[in-house]
Amino acid sequence: MGTALFDGTEQLINGLMYGCFYALVGGGFTLLFGVLRRFNLAYGSTIMAGAYAGLIPVYLFKAPVLVLFVTTIVVSVLVGLLVEFCCFRFLRKGHELAPLMTTIGMLIVIDETIVHLTDAVGLKYPAPFGDESLALGPFLIRPDYLAILVVSIACFSAIFWLMHRTRFGRAMRAVAERPEAAQILGVSVRRVNVLTFVLTSVMAGIIGFFAAVSVGSARPEMAAWLTGKGLVVMVLGGLGSFPGAILGGLALGVLEFEAVWFLGSSYRDILAFSILFLILMVRPGGLLGSRPA
Amino acid sequence: MRRPFVFAAATLLAACLLWPGWVGAFQSEGTVRIGGMWPLSGPAAFFGKAAYGLASLAVDEINEAGGLVVEGKRVKLALHAQDEACNAEQGLAVVKRLATVDKVIFSLGPGCSSVAEPVFGTLQKKLGDASDSGLQLLFFTDIATKFGLAKLSPWVFRNTPDEPAMYDFVVKYLKEKHPDLKTVMVSYESDFAHSAATWNLAVKPALERHKHHQIVEVVDWRWLDNEYGAQVTRLRKANADVYFSLTHTPSTCPSMLELKRQRVKPKMVIGITSLAGTEVLQQCPDVAAGIIAPSNFAPITPRAKQVADKAWERYKADSNIHSVPAYENVHLMKGLIEKAAIKNTEDTLLADRRKLRDQLAKVGTFQGVVGKITMRPEDDPVKPRDVDKDMILVQIKAAKWDVFWAPEHLKRN
Repeated sequence: MGTALFDGTEQLINGLMYGCFYALVGGGFTLLFGVLRRFNLAYGSTIMAGAYAGLIPVYLFKAPVLVLFVTTIVVSVLVGLLVEFCCFRFLRKGHELAPLMTTIGMLIVIDETIVHLTDAVGLKYPAPFGDESLALGPFLIRPDYLAILVVSIACFSAIFWLMHRTRFGRAMRAVAERPEAAQILGVSVRRVNVLTFVLTSVMAGIIGFFAAVSVGSARPEMAAWLTGKGLVVMVLGGLGSFPGAILGGLALGVLEFEAVWFLGSSYRDILAFSILFLILMVRPGGLLGSRPA
Repeated sequence: MRRPFVFAAATLLAACLLWPGWVGAFQSEGTVRIGGMWPLSGPAAFFGKAAYGLASLAVDEINEAGGLVVEGKRVKLALHAQDEACNAEQGLAVVKRLATVDKVIFSLGPGCSSVAEPVFGTLQKKLGDASDSGLQLLFFTDIATKFGLAKLSPWVFRNTPDEPAMYDFVVKYLKEKHPDLKTVMVSYESDFAHSAATWNLAVKPALERHKHHQIVEVVDWRWLDNEYGAQVTRLRKANADVYFSLTHTPSTCPSMLELKRQRVKPKMVIGITSLAGTEVLQQCPDVAAGIIAPSNFAPITPRAKQVADKAWERYKADSNIHSVPAYENVHLMKGLIEKAAIKNTEDTLLADRRKLRDQLAKVGTFQGVVGKITMRPEDDPVKPRDVDKDMILVQIKAAKWDVFWAPEHLKRN
């Protein structure tokens, strides 16, 4: 195999695995937008709060990684419900842009609370998947990325099952498509909204755990980074399309890795956003978004 | 229903706008107001909070010892800290506040070079030039390290590391003590002015000047990146003897972890000056073990240990290469304020700032926490109003910074 082809393939593998992580982030944003038809910009801070809180039992009681993982998810769910309560529940209908402000406010509040509590120092995270890459043939594969791949496939499968094979999933899709009609048919829109927050917050916990594990620490800038990537993936895939978010995440992962390798890190965002721009020129609804009637 | 709320909000707003920021300042109230602008929030808050803590410690020490004498009267120092958040726009707003609302006689900070550059750009360019409407506010900077910043205005003085000299020493040291280490690879943060300047203005010229090392790979990433795989693969392929990791802790830790994952083992790793603090020890003491960083501070003398312990005890502030200068600067300025014969009134503020500036320009050599510090004169062609001070090399060993090399006179202390 030629060097360029070998290098390109190695980056493709890494990009696909990391793209699964982006797909999870974008998926969380997409599910929330799909059901609520409003942006939740505090989703990144929900992820970060869970990642930080997961460390509490580790630092206090030297708890095992499983406890960290569960704590991360539990706290993310609690923060997610807080966001729903403070930023969405009492907003009147017809004020679709209001949550942009309330959730940006919540993002800043959570972010700065963590900065003040930790003096903005990143906190060391355990490395449950080891510190050394696995040699698979000629390629070096990171074990935490492999874990991300497996967990994201499990997550995506569970969400598809939930959406298409359960009563809650049907209610969720009904609320997403026609909330008034769903309400007339006896679906509690508020209950569906709250359960959607719970579902996406569980995803936030998983994302927070892997985001911190992959860099070896929980860091205060996680929220802004995850919010940026999540929004890009959501728009790239198609607003409200969960399969689109998966595709968008994978595409962004591969593009970024190949751009950094062949052009350098300063070209990563230029290339990724130029392609995003081009895709949206051709398909304004995103890769798998619905076309306007 | 809404009227009381609107009325209360309007009253609060009016009170905020009309509140005179200088109340409690100046001679009549018995205080001399000094300022500080550091990143107290956001990802660089670690540095800012540490400098704020060390400056507060110096203010406490001075006030507890009776304050300072101005116009024959004992007055206290009052420190007014503002958050520049490592954001240029916020920095520009904050500098105006310090100059016109807080009415401080001088300011410490800024923390980030990317803030210092535009802030210093708003200061007067030529002393006494009536046609220059730039701010007349004296800065005695402790953190912002980018080479050449003090040249931007005669109102800027700095007690910051001299990185070109420090890395020149490092390269010379490597050449003399480890002549077998010939290949070099480098990483830096392309969006962090200090990191990019350390590479372009300090390390690269030193490597070129000493003509011993061959640069085989240079990679860059962003300060707050989260993925380093592709760049580290390049470093793995370069497989150089010496690795200059010119990045700050938030990207040093994950990138060093990635080096470990990809089994990259350079024979020597040299870090950026800013690394020499506790942040890296908290985040990644294991993967960062062995990194050597040039520094101006380590608790290697009894005085340095005492200051570091006290700062931690009182303010949980880390004493490091960037925060200790804030402590040194406040102590130096206390003496200069007394010497400058200022009036310390609102009407004489501009004249007082000028008197203090002129005193600082004449200071020459003064005592720092670790050793002597010499302020370069205004007509210095290379780095006017910047300092020269002792340099040491520190290395991470068993989750602590250990002295790797120090000049003989410091070892004797």
